[in-house]
Amino acid sequence: MFRYILKKEFLLLSRDIHSLLVLFVMPTIFIIIMSLALQNTYSNTIDTKFQVAINTIINKDTKYLSQEINKNNYFQAQLTNNENIKELIYKKNFDYIINIVEHYKTEINTNKKDFHIDIYLNPSISVQNQLLFKNLLTEIISKQIMKEYFIKNKIDAKTLSKLNEKIIIIPTYKEEKFKIKPTSVQYSVPSWLVFSMFFILIPISNAFINEKNFGTIDRLKSMNISFISIILGKMVPYFIINQIQVLFMILVGIYIVPLLNGDTLQINGNYGLIFMMSSAISFAAISFAMFVANISSTSEEATTIGGVSNIILAALGGIMVPKFVMPEFMQNITTFSPMNWGLEGLLEIFVMGGGFYDIKNYILYLVIFGCGFLTLSYIILKKKENI
Amino acid sequence: MAIEIKNLTKSYKNDKVLDNLSLQIKEGSLFGLLGPNGAGKTTLVSIMNYLQSADSAEITILGYDYKKHKREIKQISSYVPQTYAFYPNLTAYENLEFFGALYGLKNNDLKKRIRYCVEVTSLEKFLNKQAHTYSGGVKRRLNIAIGLLNDPKILYLDEPTVGIDPQSRKYILDVVKQINQEKNTTIIYTSHYMEEIEYLCDDIAILDNHQIILHEKKEFLLEKNSFITIKTDERDIHVNIKDDYTNLIETLNLLKNNNTPIENIIFNNKNLEELFLNLTKGSLRD
Repeated sequence: MFRYILKKEFLLLSRDIHSLLVLFVMPTIFIIIMSLALQNTYSNTIDTKFQVAINTIINKDTKYLSQEINKNNYFQAQLTNNENIKELIYKKNFDYIINIVEHYKTEINTNKKDFHIDIYLNPSISVQNQLLFKNLLTEIISKQIMKEYFIKNKIDAKTLSKLNEKIIIIPTYKEEKFKIKPTSVQYSVPSWLVFSMFFILIPISNAFINEKNFGTIDRLKSMNISFISIILGKMVPYFIINQIQVLFMILVGIYIVPLLNGDTLQINGNYGLIFMMSSAISFAAISFAMFVANISSTSEEATTIGGVSNIILAALGGIMVPKFVMPEFMQNITTFSPMNWGLEGLLEIFVMGGGFYDIKNYILYLVIFGCGFLTLSYIILKKKENI
Repeated sequence: MAIEIKNLTKSYKNDKVLDNLSLQIKEGSLFGLLGPNGAGKTTLVSIMNYLQSADSAEITILGYDYKKHKREIKQISSYVPQTYAFYPNLTAYENLEFFGALYGLKNNDLKKRIRYCVEVTSLEKFLNKQAHTYSGGVKRRLNIAIGLLNDPKILYLDEPTVGIDPQSRKYILDVVKQINQEKNTTIIYTSHYMEEIEYLCDDIAILDNHQIILHEKKEFLLEKNSFITIKTDERDIHVNIKDDYTNLIETLNLLKNNNTPIENIIFNNKNLEELFLNLTKGSLRD
């Protein structure tokens, strides 16, 4: 009997083009777009450097300044000769304009009281980037002055001059065997996977509401089929569809995103744990879908309630905006979204190489969430005398 | 008896829908249930099919106690709802296969049963087309075909001809008659179409004001309710002539003794619709 229930659900879904678009095409597009869009946020390179104009009289020192700035990955400097600031920013598209006297070294060395360097910038530049540039400029000028001082006084300061190289950044991985550098695709795949899994709500609620409106549910209830069979008959096929989504999205991350010059999804984590995590997410998503289907009387109502609540859960859960760019109070709010539990659990496996101990709480929260909504659905069904 | 209902009561909040209703339906009969909107027909059929629960009732179906033998009763009954209770995006065959499997049919038994149901309802041409593409008549036939999958002893048909053309309607009525005659299936048929019930059913009941207000064999029902109208200059006098003409003779004698002149005498043979309107007072129902 169960074979035919599965066959029926798969046939219905395969003929429901809108649900297929929502479950498979929408997340694929999101994964591709977000993986490519966030590529630079996760890597240390950028395609478009900030443009810097050194707006002063050209001499040996200002040339040195320009060369040193150009050694940095994030900035590209050019010498301009006292041009109009607004024109440089808004017509010539410079991000930073340095207004500095050409004999700045002398002014610094003589502690000239009214010495200052003005940095004009496009107001859209973030505070972090402003600070980064300010520090870079301080470092270059200090290094230049100190170098001349050491040479003049015959001080061997090799270590000090190469201090930047001596500061070594060491990424520390949770699991030694799992040394994958986080990339945008490793964030995007789990994010949009969780999001799309919750959109199982669309076909489930449509199926439920159609059965209710067409009277099919009455026919089923008049037959010798237990309530549990009716519920499992819905949950199992959609659980399988959710798992197909997981596989499909992982394949998109491994094979499709790299074709478009994105990073390749690498999974060194335990596949068994991924299945455990995706099962818990699926259970939560299906139970929530059943609840929405039960409180809605039309497909339109279910699609609206489900769609809006999914988008809110995604926004709160760090799906749409990565959690690490959120302020602290927003990061605390994310912990109330089931999508965040699913995402954090998958990130533990995908990015951190975490084990069962690291994801057990997320699984527990998702199962509790699922059980809660399943119980609510049962109570509503009972109340409506539908069983 | 196929169905025996005693003292069935059902209320929604404070509104009584069925009040102490009792009814007996003979095995193999084609039972027509009539009633104005909101009379409780669908509630009664829903209770019989375990879709709703009664507040109180004693029900026996083919000797099985309604409360104790739910599984057995469901196995021998089939319910064809008023709506198209199937999956419009599946073909007729896929629908029949799915519901047949839910009735516990497997492999060859399932195929054989599907073949029979398709044959009875003439669905051969539509087997591999998705159901949403069918006309109303074909949809109704598929609805009935699904209801025949478990070879039911009792078949509930809730307004099975709503919204279809006269040809399809005639076909469905003939199919229902055929099922009843060939398999001795007890059929409970609810409809708003009086002529359908009159044509089809041998046993008729009218449900109104939460109770069965009339339940008779068709021939008795119509015969018993034949009457003669005597027109005088003052008023029309309706005389029931159900058993003999005693009433008529007495009335004529009375008019003669009072010297009331008779203008005309009209013989009425009521049809079911007139009887229905008469009994249900003809008022508009919500």
